[in-house]
Amino acid sequence: MGDDVSRRRFLTRATAAIGALLTAGFGLPAVAYFVSPAKKQEAETDWLPLGSTSKVEIGTPTLFKTTIDRTTGWITESEEVSFYVLTENARTYVALSNVCTHLGCRIRWVDNQDEFFCPCHGGVFSKEGDVLDGPPPRPLDHFEVREVDGALEVKYGV
Amino acid sequence: MSDRPSWLDERTGWKQIWAILFLRKIPKVNWAYTLGSATLFVAINQIVTGILLTIFYVPSPQDAYDSVRYITNTVTLGWLIRGLHHWGASAMVVLAVAHMLRVIIHGAYKYPREVTWITGVALLLIVIAFGFTGYLLPWDQKAYWATTVGTRIVEVTPIIGDWLLRLLRGGTELSGVTLTRFFGVHVWVLPAALLLLLATHIFLVFRIGISAPPKKER
Repeated sequence: MGDDVSRRRFLTRATAAIGALLTAGFGLPAVAYFVSPAKKQEAETDWLPLGSTSKVEIGTPTLFKTTIDRTTGWITESEEVSFYVLTENARTYVALSNVCTHLGCRIRWVDNQDEFFCPCHGGVFSKEGDVLDGPPPRPLDHFEVREVDGALEVKYGV
Repeated sequence: MSDRPSWLDERTGWKQIWAILFLRKIPKVNWAYTLGSATLFVAINQIVTGILLTIFYVPSPQDAYDSVRYITNTVTLGWLIRGLHHWGASAMVVLAVAHMLRVIIHGAYKYPREVTWITGVALLLIVIAFGFTGYLLPWDQKAYWATTVGTRIVEVTPIIGDWLLRLLRGGTELSGVTLTRFFGVHVWVLPAALLLLLATHIFLVFRIGISAPPKKER
């Protein structure tokens, strides 16, 4: 009888152990599989041509649009990216992101107010990108910008 | 089992259910009697890996092939998940047929197990339908032409042949419409039917008990 009980116990434990092993064998790869797209992508930065410096109005942020190829998952698509370029003297340029630092909506320059405005939650930024009003936690992102033979290029990560 | 029920047992009665499921009496049997359980295990494998595949797979002509390649080559252990589902599909058919042969050879389909047998036959047909619809989903050359041929076979049905062909393909030609209906059937219709029949099948196994192997002298 005592022998019987130990056999039963052994089989119960062996079954439980095999079950635990199988659960881990499926569970761990499943988690790794599901989580893998959350890995941080290494952004490669490159100089992105924007257009002629002559388009930039002195003292007013000017919107430049260009397209980049972006690969997400198995899809590579060309995507439009925009930058506000500002100059006070036509020699040094500043490139600002047009993405609101609050929750990522696109901001726009409002000429008669002399400020950037975000339509989503009323964020307001100055010409230089500093927060004037609303919920944005930090100034607009700046990008490195250079002039090559009268054309503007901005350093941008894809 | 202890005499006083635990907190959980008092509220759920799980120990009694456990006893009915796993502490039941079974006749002296051999390894061939594990084929049903083996099929069930592979079915669970198919469900788990199938759900995981839908996390990335897109059933459209533009995306199907590329998303499958993405799973296989880029996603962490994607090759393993896809491989398990791919080979599991074949194992499923082999095991289900072997299980059926064992039942036939032992005459286990006889009274009082006719309903278990009928649901089992329906389950085998569902497994084959799973295989047929799943085969198209990678949307590669083999999938495309196998389904072209496979759907063409129904065309020889008298009178309603060409209607059946259009029903299967969602039109005259194999297209994105075919792909989405095969996908919908593969991940919604068939799993629902499988779970319903499987629940009945397994309930009857527990309720009636498994048959003993036939004796020599009779």
